[in-house]
Amino acid sequence: MNIRQTVLLVLAGLLCWQLRGQEEVTIRIKEGMPMIPVALPAFQLNDLAAQKGEIANPVYETLWNDLEFTRIFKMVPREHYSYIPRFNPNAINFKDWASIQANILVSGQLELTADDRVIFSFKVYEIASERFIFGRNFGGKKELARLIAHKAADELLKHFGEKPLFTSKIVYVRESGNDRDIYIMDYDGYRPTRITFSSALDMLPSWSSNNEKILYTSYRNLSPELFMFDIYSGKTELVSSGGSNYAADWSPVADAIVYTSSKDGNAEIYLKNMKTGQEKRLTFNPAIDTSPCWSPNGREIAFTSQRSGTPQIYVMDAEGSNIRRITLEGTYHDSPAWSPDGMRLAFVSRIENRFDIYVYNLKSNEIGKLTENAGRNENPSWSPDGRHLVFSSNRGGAYQLYLVDYDGRNLRQITSSGENKMPKWQKSAK
Amino acid sequence: MKKWMLALLSLSLILTFTACGKKAAKVAPPTQEPVVEKVEEPTTRVEKPVLSEEELFQQKSLEELNKDQVLKRINFDFDKYDIREDMKPLLQANANWLLKFATVQILIEGHCDERGTIEYNIALGEKRAEAAKNYLASLGMNPAKIKIISYGKSKPLVQGVDEASYFQNRRAEFVITKK
Repeated sequence: MNIRQTVLLVLAGLLCWQLRGQEEVTIRIKEGMPMIPVALPAFQLNDLAAQKGEIANPVYETLWNDLEFTRIFKMVPREHYSYIPRFNPNAINFKDWASIQANILVSGQLELTADDRVIFSFKVYEIASERFIFGRNFGGKKELARLIAHKAADELLKHFGEKPLFTSKIVYVRESGNDRDIYIMDYDGYRPTRITFSSALDMLPSWSSNNEKILYTSYRNLSPELFMFDIYSGKTELVSSGGSNYAADWSPVADAIVYTSSKDGNAEIYLKNMKTGQEKRLTFNPAIDTSPCWSPNGREIAFTSQRSGTPQIYVMDAEGSNIRRITLEGTYHDSPAWSPDGMRLAFVSRIENRFDIYVYNLKSNEIGKLTENAGRNENPSWSPDGRHLVFSSNRGGAYQLYLVDYDGRNLRQITSSGENKMPKWQKSAK
Repeated sequence: MKKWMLALLSLSLILTFTACGKKAAKVAPPTQEPVVEKVEEPTTRVEKPVLSEEELFQQKSLEELNKDQVLKRINFDFDKYDIREDMKPLLQANANWLLKFATVQILIEGHCDERGTIEYNIALGEKRAEAAKNYLASLGMNPAKIKIISYGKSKPLVQGVDEASYFQNRRAEFVITKK
């Protein structure tokens, strides 16, 4: 970045932060394509599945909710289906479906076998051309009905050139009584699985880039140390040595992590090669440096530093050089999260004791506010496709996890019991 | 003789009947509390010994010493980790005590109020603990006997959303770990 660009960034940044004072600044980032209207008539059920209706509903509802969530598809309201003759998978009248403004028709068939396995088959049709586009079959245990629906929805996404999203998971901290442990759940809040069982504080989990390991901080040895849990082997190993260690982020391009440690006496950012164990200190400043976060191409690191007197967001090159400040106004910014397309930084700002989540567009220098007048909002983390974020908020009393789109739309709560905090969305799904 | 016996029998019968009659009648609740006799302590009283600070220190367990807060906690300003002027006398008192009992090792816990992010508060709490450690060291305490830890905002002392609660939560606590 040359000086002129830097000056422009500074000026634009100033302007944006001043705008923020007027409240209610929303970002409108044009995603180009209009949403595709999809019709999803009720599934055909075999006798056993029809008898045990409790299978059909979760698969149907999950698939519907997934498709509606994407911002790629728009679901044709169910009540419109009653204007046309009942769906017959063997003799589809495409004109009927075109008349209720559907572009894509998904026809599903659900079978339940005598040994309680679910077989779900779906076919996707393009209505205008009256063509079958593609179909898939999925089978699995009855308990995996929701996963089957997520997989089906991911197939649709892939077919439309998108990255899979619905089989992605979120790691987070769940508090219940005195326990504070780490859990993994589906993106929509279902199927939580506990992965740590210590009586000490476990916190700030994050994913390895291959999604096989979870890095987290635990006080189990009476000081905050960094541990790595292997999801598949179940093994846990200590990663850090000395001081307080936390806020780890795995490189998207290499077997390396960045994290905060005070092992040299002050909160600094370190780079650790996870193959060789070799470490490199990246920041050298008597102030607090923390919350490192890789850019998606692995060339830069966003972080929080208090070197100007208050916590502000900075970006440096991955070797620790070329440090530049991103947030220019306000007195408290932290928890930077780089969007998967590299275009945006989400972070938390405290303004007049309100904690809200902002999204800063690095290209246009526009800033948008995702949350407004509703409790404390913390720890934003992007979905693999960069269209959504998960964050924690105490707007309803206890801390719970919420999903919101990059432009502040489609807010929804995904956890409801106990307290749930510090979510991190997988950076990719299979 | 027989007459006398008969008279006695009839008398006892009458008495029995009257007693029964009384029992059947409603008994009024006692209006007065039973009198409790006051038992005086024996005159030879044992004087409770006044233990010196040293003796107390020897007698009490680590848990008791910490529970009694022989070392006072200090508080901090919002988003700050420098030692407030009004907290210096508390640190001086802590240092005096620690210099008196030179075998003691301590853990200083740094804490924050809830108005910060988790990651930043761990660093801030650590800075607070470190500031307290440095101050004690400047007063002559051996820094090798001080360990520090930060809990960030994970362990608030009080629940509350007012400045008084926040102030109590922005603190450094001095825990005796060895004596």
